[in-house]
Parts: sequence; C-alpha cells; structure tokens
Amino acid sequence: MSNSRNSRRIEQWRDTTIPRRPLLWLAAALLFTLPALLGTVASWVPFLFLFALVLKFWMEPRGYRLRSTSLKLILTALTLGAIFLSYDTLKGIEPAVSLLVVLVSLKILEAHTAREFQVMVMMAWVLCLCGFLLSQDLAIAFCLFVAFALLIAALVQFHRPATAGSPGAFWLPLATTLKLVAQAAPVAVLLFLLFPRINTGFQFRIGDPHAARTGFSDRLSPGGIVALANSTDIAFRAEFPDRRTGPVGPMYWRGLVMWHCEGMEWRAPYAPAPISDSSNGYPASDKAVRQRITIAPHGARWMFALDRPFGIPSGARLARGNYLYSVQPIRKTRRYEALSSTDPTREELGAHERREALQLPASISPAVRELAASFAGHDSEPRATVNSALQFFRTQGFRYSLSPGEYNKNDLEEFLFRRRTGFCEHYAASFATLMRLAGIPARVVLGYLGGEYNDLGGFFLVRQSDTHAWCEVWIPENGWTRIDPTAVVAPGRASLDLSSFLASRVASGEMATGRSAFLTRLARLALVNQIRFVWEALNYQWDTRVLGFDADVQDVLLTSLGLTNSGPFPLVMQVLIVIAALLIIYAGWMQLRTRPRADRVQALYERFCQKLARIGVQRDPCEGPSDFAKRAAQSFPNASEYVRHITETYIALRYAPGPAAISLDKFVKKINAFTAHR
Amino acid sequence: MKTGKFPLLYPTASLAGLLFVLGAMWYAASSQNSPAVYLLLFGLTAVFLVSIPHTLLNLADVTIAPESAKPAFAGQEVSLPVEIMNCSRATRRGIQLVVPGRGGQRKHVDYIPAGKAARVTLRFPAKQRGEHRIGTLRLTSIYPLGFVRVLKKFGSSQTYLVYPKPSGDPRLPVQRARSPHNRPQTELGEGDDFAGVRAYVPGESQRHIDWRAVARGQPLMTKQFAAEAEGSVHLDFSALRFHGAEERLSQLALWVIEAERVRRPYSLRLPNTEIAPAVGEAHFHRCLRALSLFPGEDGA
Repeated sequence: MSNSRNSRRIEQWRDTTIPRRPLLWLAAALLFTLPALLGTVASWVPFLFLFALVLKFWMEPRGYRLRSTSLKLILTALTLGAIFLSYDTLKGIEPAVSLLVVLVSLKILEAHTAREFQVMVMMAWVLCLCGFLLSQDLAIAFCLFVAFALLIAALVQFHRPATAGSPGAFWLPLATTLKLVAQAAPVAVLLFLLFPRINTGFQFRIGDPHAARTGFSDRLSPGGIVALANSTDIAFRAEFPDRRTGPVGPMYWRGLVMWHCEGMEWRAPYAPAPISDSSNGYPASDKAVRQRITIAPHGARWMFALDRPFGIPSGARLARGNYLYSVQPIRKTRRYEALSSTDPTREELGAHERREALQLPASISPAVRELAASFAGHDSEPRATVNSALQFFRTQGFRYSLSPGEYNKNDLEEFLFRRRTGFCEHYAASFATLMRLAGIPARVVLGYLGGEYNDLGGFFLVRQSDTHAWCEVWIPENGWTRIDPTAVVAPGRASLDLSSFLASRVASGEMATGRSAFLTRLARLALVNQIRFVWEALNYQWDTRVLGFDADVQDVLLTSLGLTNSGPFPLVMQVLIVIAALLIIYAGWMQLRTRPRADRVQALYERFCQKLARIGVQRDPCEGPSDFAKRAAQSFPNASEYVRHITETYIALRYAPGPAAISLDKFVKKINAFTAHR
Repeated sequence: MKTGKFPLLYPTASLAGLLFVLGAMWYAASSQNSPAVYLLLFGLTAVFLVSIPHTLLNLADVTIAPESAKPAFAGQEVSLPVEIMNCSRATRRGIQLVVPGRGGQRKHVDYIPAGKAARVTLRFPAKQRGEHRIGTLRLTSIYPLGFVRVLKKFGSSQTYLVYPKPSGDPRLPVQRARSPHNRPQTELGEGDDFAGVRAYVPGESQRHIDWRAVARGQPLMTKQFAAEAEGSVHLDFSALRFHGAEERLSQLALWVIEAERVRRPYSLRLPNTEIAPAVGEAHFHRCLRALSLFPGEDGA
C-alpha cells in the first residue's frame, strides 16, 4: 500500500514540469544574487552560471534536460576539479561558495519537477545567505533583498500555474509578494530587535575581504599611503553628538603612533603597550569632543579617534602614544564612542620614552646629519629648530605629488636633496627623522585627515583616501605637539579632504590626469553630489542601525526595555505570543475583508419565518414565500393582513427590478414589530 | 460528517527544506554574530509565518457541490462533475480538489473569481459494481508559498452507480422453450416496421419521437416499430450455467448491451426482480441498474 502510494506521489511529481514563468522569476532572483558573489567565486564560475541559465531557457521548451546520471557525475567531477585548480584547495569559504554556485548551475540544467524547483529556490536562498556572509555593503544587500523578494514571487507564481489567458498573470505574483513582504516586515523587525541572539559557540572563519583593502599598516614605508589615494572605500564615519558640524580646524584622526625609525621607513611596536587612562587627567568637559564612530571592518585592531582620545570605549585599550586599539580584531562593523581632547598633553617624558623617541638607525648619511645639525645649530630652543626645519621644507622647492616615484628606506638623502617630491608619508617620515637627528624627541602618527560632511546624515565620512601621516615632537613646555610638514608643503591639504584638495588643484590647472580628472569633474556636479549624499546617508543608516545592531547592542536595548531579567526563554515566548497575535490580526482582517456580505433582506425574512415557526407555522424549505404567506394567513386569520404585507415587501425588496419602493429601515421596523399569537 | 467548516493545516515536504535553510541561516548568523544574516533569517521566517494565514484563508468561504455522476461500467472511469463555489469577496487561487482513497488524481483550479464557481470533473476508476457513496471530498491549497497545506473536508451522502463489467459470450442467447403465456407475437419495440405510436416516457431516446405530431400541436408521442421476426430475448439469471454470480451478471450486462445495440427487445429476470421486455435507453439503464444492485456474495 505504502509502495503504491509512493509511486503515485512520484508520478505526481513527474507529471509536473516547471512552467516558464516561475523559472523566469527564479532566474531573475539568481541573477540578483550574483553581484554579492562576484568577488569571491572563481572567475569562470559566473560564466558557467549564466551559460546554464541561458541553456535552460533554450532546453525547457524543447523538453531537453540533463538526464544521464553518468554525465551528471562527470560534470560534477569536472567542475570540482576546476575549482580545485582555481584555488589549490577545497577548504575555506571561497571554494565552498564557488561549489555551491556550480551545483546550482548544474541543478538548473537538471531540474524539471516541482520538487526540484523547490530545491532550486532553497539553494538560491542559501546563495543569499552566502552573499550576506561575504559582503554587507548596502548595494549588495539591496541586490540580495531584491533576490529574496523575487524568490517569493517565483514560489507564488509556481503554486498558481497560470493559464495563458488568466488575468494578472505577471503582476499578480508581484502584488502578492509585496503584500506578503509588507505584512512580514513588522514581524521581521520584531524578531530582529527582540529575538535573543544565542551564540552557538561554533565559530567558522571567513577570510576577511576587508583586511586586504585597508591601506593602514603598522609600517610607514614610502609609497604605502600613495597607493590608497584613489581608494574610495570607507574607513569610518564619525558623528559629533554634542555639536552638529564637528570641531573647528582640521580633523586629525589618530590611528597609531610609530616610534621605530629606519630613515624613510617607520614602524609601530608589534604589540601596543597599554597605558592607563587616568594618568593624563581629564580635560575640562567643554574642551572634550565626543565622537560616535562607526568603523568599517578591517581585520586588524586599530581604532580611530580625534586628536588625543582619553575616554576609552569598551573592548578597547589606550596605547602608549595615546592611541586606541581594539582588544579583538575588528571583523565586522563596530560602533563606539570616544572622547578626545584637542589640547596638547602636559605629561612628563620619561627617560625610557625619551630614549625611544630619539632612536635612530645607523645608516643615516653624513649630509643628512649635517642638515639636521644646521637646524639645531642656530638655536638650542626646540621651537626654533622645528621652525627652521619647516622653513627648509617650505623654501627648498619641495613638491606634493601623488606620483613621487619610488623611494627606498635609505633614500632620505635622495629625497631631501635631489628629488624633493613626495606624499605625506615622505614628509612625515623625513621630518621626524630630521628632528631626532636634531635632538628633539619625535614620532610619526598615522591616521586620517579630514572627512566629508554628509548633511543628510549629519556625519563625517572618512575614506581610505584620507589616510595621512604626520609628526609629533616633544616640546618641553607643551608636551607632544603635532607638526604636519605636509601642511607646509601643500597648505590646502590640511583643511580639506584629499579628493577635494586634488579637485581644487585640477580646477586651478595644477594637475590633470585622465580618469581621475573626469571623476573629479563628475563629483563636482551638484546633482551627482546630492545623489551621492543620499546614498551615503542611507549607507550610514544601514551600517549603524542594521549592521551595528549585534548581540551587545541588543542587550543594551533589552535592558533599557526591562526585558533581560527574565532570561531568554520567557523572552522567546513573549515574542512568539506577540507574533501569533499579529498573525491572528492579519487573518481576522483578511477574513473580514473577504467574508461574503450577508443578504440583509434575506436575513430579516428568515427572522420573520423563525417568529412564525415559534408559534407553530414552519416554512418548508421548498415553499415559496407567497405560498407560505397564504398558509400562515390561514393559521392566523387575525394577523393575515400583516403577514401578507410583510411578504409582499420582502418580495418587492428582494426580487423587484429597479429601486425598491419601500426602504429597508421600514422593513426592519415591521419585522421587529411583528408579534403573532394564536 | 464534517461540514468543511474547520480547515486543517498540515506541513508540506518543502517545509522541511525551508527549515533546513533557516537552520543554516541561524547557524551562520549566530556563529558570525552577523546582524545582516539575522535580518535575512528573520525576514524569511516572517514571510513564512505570514504566509500561513494567507494559505489558511485561501479556502475560507469556499464550498463544493458535487453533481450527480453518470453511471459507468466497472473497469471504466467514473466522471464526477463538482462545482467549487467561491462565496467570498476575494479571488481564491491555487485550489486542488482531491478524492482520497480511490486513486483519483487531483484537480487543480487556477483561480475562482469572487462570487463565482468553477466546475471540475473528477475522474476515478470504477472498480466494483454496485452503488457507491462519493464519500469525503477534500479541497486543499498550498498557495501562496507552498510551505503549509490547508485542507477542508466535505462529506457527501451522494452516490454513484457502477454497472457490472460486461464480459462473456457476445452472442445473444437463442430462444428456447417459451413459457405458455408468452406466445409468439409481434413485440412492440424498435424493429423496422412502423407499428403505431404511444405516449412518450421521459428518458426515452428522442430519435423516435413523432416530431410531425408535435408540430401539429399534439403531445409527445413515441413511434413504435415492429421488432424483428426473432422476437424478444429473455435474459435469465438462473438459466445461466456459470457458477459465480458476478460472472453471470457480467454476461447479462454484455447481452443487455448487445441487445440494445441490435435493437431487439429484451427482458431481464433476476432472482429478485423481473423486467418486462422492451428496448430503449430508459429500459437499458433500468436493466443495468438492476444488475448493478444485485446483492452479491460480498454484499455489494
């Protein structure tokens, strides 16, 4: 019995082929998952995928499909081998995603039953999942949510195999999908906000694609930052909750401090040494700048804050050199609040620190030593030494350039005396080295300079192209003092972000280089800028509201709502009860809207009949109203006139063409007034 | 009998697939602590949850009314026209009508507009002669997403007839010794020679109605023709030499068909009934009905 049932079920699956329309929706959904995977899968995989889709649409009407099991096995083995050749391994997320896409492609060629259609939809959902694991960019997320909706549309279309002539064959699935999504949105938000994020504890690492993108490193070598000058990737966003537009003056975002000098190359300590925060003393609160920073994942531990941070966010430490670093590598978008002071420090320089801040490599050439000595020679006052060094940079024909040519770490002499062309890292490194040679403790700070203000979102956007290096020198009466030699060479740079600075120079004809010139001109169009600002504001909301809402933030929310003390299980129950209530409301609403409208006249007449039945005259189901009225009139001669009148009214209201001569209200009154007794 | 008032809800096979996908998403989200994946997970969960009332209400205010099924011979197919009425004010989509337990296939109705009805014909094999109840008809729907199935049962006391499977010797029995009162005479029936008219009986073939008389304003009359010289055939259950009642019934059914085909009047005699000789559609069905309802060993 069960066997025949099984075979029947198989029969039932077999006789349904996948109609063209759901397949179209599915194909569209699969195409929308593709952008998220492009960077990760092997380069040939998308082509295979597209080829399979096109082939499917060619094969389906002709009844062809991938039937032979051995051919399937061979194809699977071939693609598996190709993936192995592309990556040299089958472990890790990239080969796994490639494999999944390849399997989906093969499944497309093979699929022909209803069950396989379902399987393909499920696989497409898993592709969405992979997409979100790989990239959480808003544009990608948008594509993936479109794919998500298209998959729902595909299912709706599939479960309603529309015949060619039926109305709304194309728009109906979309409308149904929109309705479903609109009704699901509150449920999803509720779950997202309140459903406990239970950590399973099983971790799997995803190779962080962001780690390679950041230009930041703990080593400042010539040409390191220049490479980033055209990168528009976002480093972080900063809001100033206390004031709308941020502090006056240039914004130097401190990233890390480098102590170790190798001439043109500087290095930060391998492990930052934490210092306690309290030794600095808090500056007056009106001097402190509060910032809320949303940092893009970069896979390393550095964190950024304005000038000199002193309020340490949770999960972070303050390192020697007054910069923040994270205890854990930052692998996902993170949001923190920092307090900064723009005043110079008034701390003491310890002997150990002084020694470190004066360390020099042995390979400095005599000419450079002589130059440094000449700065110090005029006056032993540190301030004067600094000024004469800056004067040297200002007057000796140094140029600020995005293409300064290649330098070696021992090319200090070459830079200072011959080429005199460099980017911020060259100036910072050479200036700090010169200061140390002149006997002034100096260090290099790597961070970001400037940021673009987004009016809509009220935040500053700092990009990788804003990476900047500057110096700090020890001046006894001031403490560590920021000196930016780049500002001397290219005075506009410090007050603008790099792209605007470059744009202004393009405008003044100072530099014009093909592509970037076109882009910068484009960037100056008002409309383009407006669109860009809206997009960036949206992006910010996505990053802070969605990507920033992790388990920790949820904890804070739950605590503020007073929901944490009951533990996760009661919370789950509460959420489920609320959702069930919501679903019941939906169901009731939909039921109410589609319930058949009761025939009022009929209902009233039935009440009249019931009244008669109560006193003994039962109406036969097949008895017409007039016949019944005659019979009833015979039973109650005293009420006969009334019964006839009601029946006539009923017939007129229900069956007479055109508008009724008597209003419904009067009919109601008559029925209510009718009381019959024998 | 369930009146179809309460719809039942069942999971479908694809729900298992969905749960697997949701599980994978949950695992990925919690191990990466990734809000974006959580959003996807909860979005999919929410859409699934919201689709449940949609599926459930897809059969609200939808009722069915089976019409009368034409009798069929055993071994053939019974076709049962069923009207599915949508009394609600919304279009209902993706509805299936199923007759359980008879190996009948599902009938898919794409959509029924508000206040309209759709007519489908269910076909299922007629296995055994006799009178059968239609039993419970089911309406199911998995629209829109197919993760849950809503089911509404409609009990019906209506019956349909299955005639015995005709089989055996197709040659009509030769006239043997007739009973004395049954003297040879020209039987009125459907022979070749016109023999007069009689009043029309509803259900009779309309071919022999005297339409000219109708045109003259007279009532419906059926023309009668003298039967062939051979006279009528007497089909007698007890005269058959088979052992099994079913075989006898099958043989009689075949003869009834043959006699009707060659238009020879035939009479039928069963242990409990006797039908006088005649020919024509009404007579034909009357005989077959008697054969069908003959109490068999299994009490069919």
